[in-house]
Amino acid sequence: MRPLIALALLGACVVAALVATHALSLLLLAAVLLTLLLQASWKRARLYLLGIAVSSFGLFLIWPLTAHVGSHPLWNGPILPVIGSIDVTSEELAAGAVQTLRLATVALAFAVWALRLDQDRIVREVRLARRSVLTVALATRLIPTLERDAAGFVEALRGRGVVVEGMRGRSRLLAPLVASSLERALTLAESMEARGYGRSGRPLRTRSHLNWRERAALSLSLLLVVFSLLWL
Amino acid sequence: MAVSTRIARIEKLGFAYPEASVSALTDVSLELERGEVVLVLGRSGSGKSTLLRALAGLVPHFHGGRFSGSVYVAGRDTRSTEPAALAGTVATLFQDPEDQIVFEQVTSEVAFGPENLGLQPGEVAERVESSLAAVGAEHLLERTTRDLSGGELQRVCLASALALKPELLLLDEPTSQLDPEGAKAFLELVERLARERGMTVVLSEQRPALPLEICDRVLFLEQGRLLLDAPRAQGIRWLEESAPAFVEPFETVAEQTGAPGEAICRMEGVGYAYQPALPVLEDVSLELRRGEIVALAGPNGSGKTTLAKLACGLLEAQQGRVERHGRASYLSQDPGRYVVCERAEDEVALGIEGDLVRARRWLGELGLGGSERRHPRDLSSGERERLGLATVLATEPDLLILDEPTRGVDPGRKRELGELLRASASGRATLLVSHDLAFARSVADRVVSLAQQEVPVVA
Repeated sequence: MRPLIALALLGACVVAALVATHALSLLLLAAVLLTLLLQASWKRARLYLLGIAVSSFGLFLIWPLTAHVGSHPLWNGPILPVIGSIDVTSEELAAGAVQTLRLATVALAFAVWALRLDQDRIVREVRLARRSVLTVALATRLIPTLERDAAGFVEALRGRGVVVEGMRGRSRLLAPLVASSLERALTLAESMEARGYGRSGRPLRTRSHLNWRERAALSLSLLLVVFSLLWL
Repeated sequence: MAVSTRIARIEKLGFAYPEASVSALTDVSLELERGEVVLVLGRSGSGKSTLLRALAGLVPHFHGGRFSGSVYVAGRDTRSTEPAALAGTVATLFQDPEDQIVFEQVTSEVAFGPENLGLQPGEVAERVESSLAAVGAEHLLERTTRDLSGGELQRVCLASALALKPELLLLDEPTSQLDPEGAKAFLELVERLARERGMTVVLSEQRPALPLEICDRVLFLEQGRLLLDAPRAQGIRWLEESAPAFVEPFETVAEQTGAPGEAICRMEGVGYAYQPALPVLEDVSLELRRGEIVALAGPNGSGKTTLAKLACGLLEAQQGRVERHGRASYLSQDPGRYVVCERAEDEVALGIEGDLVRARRWLGELGLGGSERRHPRDLSSGERERLGLATVLATEPDLLILDEPTRGVDPGRKRELGELLRASASGRATLLVSHDLAFARSVADRVVSLAQQEVPVVA
């Protein structure tokens, strides 16, 4: 299946995740996307899974404390300035679970896009907003580069006898890491321009017919969007 | 109508980068003929890369800055022609191949240029295949760029440039990351392609011995001024008289005085593998003694850096034994990239418990006096390399390990580095990892060759 079709299917999953209100629907979507993600190399997938787990868990913790709905309190906390009363109701927990699942589903769709789709082909085949697609593809590729650079920083410091430990130690590397990425990005941009990027005259691609699987996937994407808007 | 034999003309070119107080190029004039190979030499910061960027139109379009004079490429004024529009005529290969890779697949990477030119898919595919074949990399067609070695990546980048079918090919220190064999093969390939295709090649280099054998003309820049523009033989004579560091073989900087002292690091039968099935090192033994400088040579991928990291404790040996006494400091490749502080003196002081007095002393020793409070990223590439060196020398280690310290360093600076290392060698053991055999032989007491799958040989 060509990656643009797979991208359409993933887009439909994201739309469904954003509009669905039933936890079961979201759980089903998340399970499907997780299965797809786990087919990628574990070494690369685990970073995304860790990020999804941490952000989802964080949302689940914060949601009931900041929301003010429900009449079945499970815990009554203090009243804080600006935020108001810190209490947890069963309705807030349920809503928090739905929002957590929503976030996890969208993040899983992004991870599947980053790890399972041939982004080179997406960039080369896309006819609309090619610059934006290329920007997103390059930003996605930045993650492993950042990972490698971070390891380089830690190694360079250890080589001088400086131990980088804990959140505080690692957070010190954030600014230099960003600066280093910007330097890389500048060189890359220069190299792209030297290779004709941004030149008037669009790349030409031959159009080919969709096979039955691709037609089915496109139909499924459409159905998923309509179904989610009406019933999920 | 006669076809012009000239591909580019530069007239009184002057250029200063934005916010720079000095000009990168001043009053440079030259002409480039079709099919010639031109070598650009000069010390770090002399304007070599800027000259190449001016020929590609990237100066001033991409960088901004103050531009005077004119540059014509294939009859087009680069001031009124965007670099992207010059892409079918000019192709540039930058120093670090990793920083210019756009795509994950080799095929997509090589196709990027021709697709930007708006060529038909059939022709794009044909150019991808023929360019990879021309650089002997057709077997990489189905590979991903992240799995390639440095040498392979360099070939793919060259193929990407050739896929544009340029009339003018600009190479900015293309062999800085290659071992001597790889560099020789690469330059021979470039020469063959230039002759076969009638393509003009302009390349800048810091290891001039090999390029001097293949070039037709030599240019020499100093502080942005063109001091030499002459045919090869005449150019070599000029270099011998006016810039001997660029042509003379390195001589031993200083003989070691006295026998080496006690062993600082002893590695016995060490082995290491990043992936279980692919050992990088197997059963390697090496001893480093106080007072001696040992150079570690070998082709790309032979495990030199891994052995260096094992020696200083950044990696733990999976086989064998590593015994180390005292403090070890390691300077990684491309140290200028890994700066973390906002002032040069803080960067050096980081590894010595914030001792700013000692940090300033070492900055002075390395010619960076006066730059103590500057942001490390505002320093030039050569200054950043020296800052990196200061960060490890300031720790006054018992074992000093430098990984490719001469990469991108001009011959004059190499000589200064060699002298510095020799002058302070007696207090520590020094391990140099280097592709630069001439430098290694000039500075080291021993050169250990780490050929792939072989037990090291002391030369």
